[in-house]
Amino acid sequence: MTVVTTRPTIWTVLKWALAILIALIALFPIWWMVNVVFSMPGEPVSLNPRLWPTSLSAGIEKIRVIFTETEYLRAYGISLIYAVLTIAGVLTFGSLAAFEFSLFDFPGRRILFGIILLSLMVPTAVTIIPTYLLTSQLGWLNTMHGLVVPGLASAFGLFMLVQFMRAVPKDMIEAARLDGASHFQIYWHIALPLCRNAMVTLAILTFMQTWGNYMWPLIVSSKPQLYTVGQVVGLFNSPLSHQTVDMVMTANLLAAIPPLLFFLIFQRKIVEGVAMSGTKG
Amino acid sequence: MSLRRHLPHYMMIAPFMVLFAAFFLYPIISGFFYSFHDWNGARPPEYVGVANYTKILHSRDFATAMGNLAVYIAITVPLGILVALGLALLVDSFTGRWANFFRNAYFMPVVLPAFLAATIWRWIYAPNFGLLNVALGWFGLGSINFLNNSSTMLYSLIAVDVWVSAGFNMVILLAGLKNIPTELYEAARLDGANKWQQIVHITVPMLAPVLFFVVTYSLISAMQVFDKPWLLTGSSFTSYGGRRNALLFPVMDMMGRAFGGVKFGEAAAYGFLLTLAIVTVTALMFALRSWSARK
Repeated sequence: MTVVTTRPTIWTVLKWALAILIALIALFPIWWMVNVVFSMPGEPVSLNPRLWPTSLSAGIEKIRVIFTETEYLRAYGISLIYAVLTIAGVLTFGSLAAFEFSLFDFPGRRILFGIILLSLMVPTAVTIIPTYLLTSQLGWLNTMHGLVVPGLASAFGLFMLVQFMRAVPKDMIEAARLDGASHFQIYWHIALPLCRNAMVTLAILTFMQTWGNYMWPLIVSSKPQLYTVGQVVGLFNSPLSHQTVDMVMTANLLAAIPPLLFFLIFQRKIVEGVAMSGTKG
Repeated sequence: MSLRRHLPHYMMIAPFMVLFAAFFLYPIISGFFYSFHDWNGARPPEYVGVANYTKILHSRDFATAMGNLAVYIAITVPLGILVALGLALLVDSFTGRWANFFRNAYFMPVVLPAFLAATIWRWIYAPNFGLLNVALGWFGLGSINFLNNSSTMLYSLIAVDVWVSAGFNMVILLAGLKNIPTELYEAARLDGANKWQQIVHITVPMLAPVLFFVVTYSLISAMQVFDKPWLLTGSSFTSYGGRRNALLFPVMDMMGRAFGGVKFGEAAAYGFLLTLAIVTVTALMFALRSWSARK
């Protein structure tokens, strides 16, 4: 009898210990970053590894210095505009096309959609250099449209929206047509509202991806005026930077805050979005 | 008549298709053209046949990058997926609020911008005062120069890589776990199967399609690894790969040739060679799957 009752508890304790230990490993580097920022400057970074924040005001002061005395604020703005424009474009162009590919038939539909699906398998490695060369030939280097436009035709986004739009009932579309709705009105008033969830998920995933994009801005916006957060963080961390550890960590933390906030608010949508891209793709 | 009927459809897909053609299809075709030319972006391209390809294949950096990549993939892909599967099973064994909490905690590193994981870990790995070396000091162990010692660099990268990718793959595997009917486990329990037997005989086979996706996707993205080794080594276009090129990977080599060496033809050829490798690996994966399905 005792064996039956104690054995599960040992396993349960081990399971909890393991789960908590892994959570610590996953979260500690992020927590540590917070602690370094919110502590008095000059305290040794990790001779006494900082396990908790010690000074709120010192952290706020560091953030103020970063925003007012370095190029960080501009990079923040640029990354934000880059992300917002990309989201707007991916959603607009993707949903317009997904509406057609999922709900209607027209000559060439299958082959065009087939090519788009095939493109999902083409690695970025093969397109990035020629896309850069095209952007350069268009004279778009170091411009916001050079940063944004080449990334707008997202095959992944289109594919995801098509999956959702397939669920729009055909009867509703027919009924709207009989009522005299134009093609665009059907898209705007019926299809879009019905796949709002998918649009939100795609917007969030696009935000995360754009905010974290390092390679494309690195080559397209090589002028400091158009540096994104990723590049500025790279500069702060470069071996030649003269910043103190405190400042570097503040720069790192500020770059992490928008996506972390997004995750705390939309955790369910983000997790579902990632899971769906895996199980349906 | 027919065109007129279909015109609204074409107008709706036109914006996407135009962008897709201009910034995806055209670059692939032009890249193929450049790969047979010597071009620095200024002078007109000069036809050189397959010289770019042979030059890359014979270069020492290519051999180093591919060698690093082979070791890296052989460790990081199986390890990452094993950890992810473990995490998924662990999270799945909790219910309600705690399941959510642990899932979110393990997923947190995925949420960070990709470039940030590398920069944070650079500080943790730092010699002498880095967190990890301080921790080693507590146990009386000497300081290890994780990112500057060519025998440890690759493993330092793999640790960061698993730290990030485990949460991502875990979420996909969790969705797969949820789709396994609970009756299967109940039937197995009635037959006297223990937890381990249930995992081996029910969970893993039922997860096979999702596992296949996760393995294939991990392989494809691992073959294109760039941000993490680039930032861990503090690389720039004039100097990259870290000490003794221990963290030199194909995409880094390609980018270096393009933007450090200004050899765009060579870089384009590099892209195609790498794609060929990726397509081959993917095709092998699919062949393996259909072979094991037939067996």
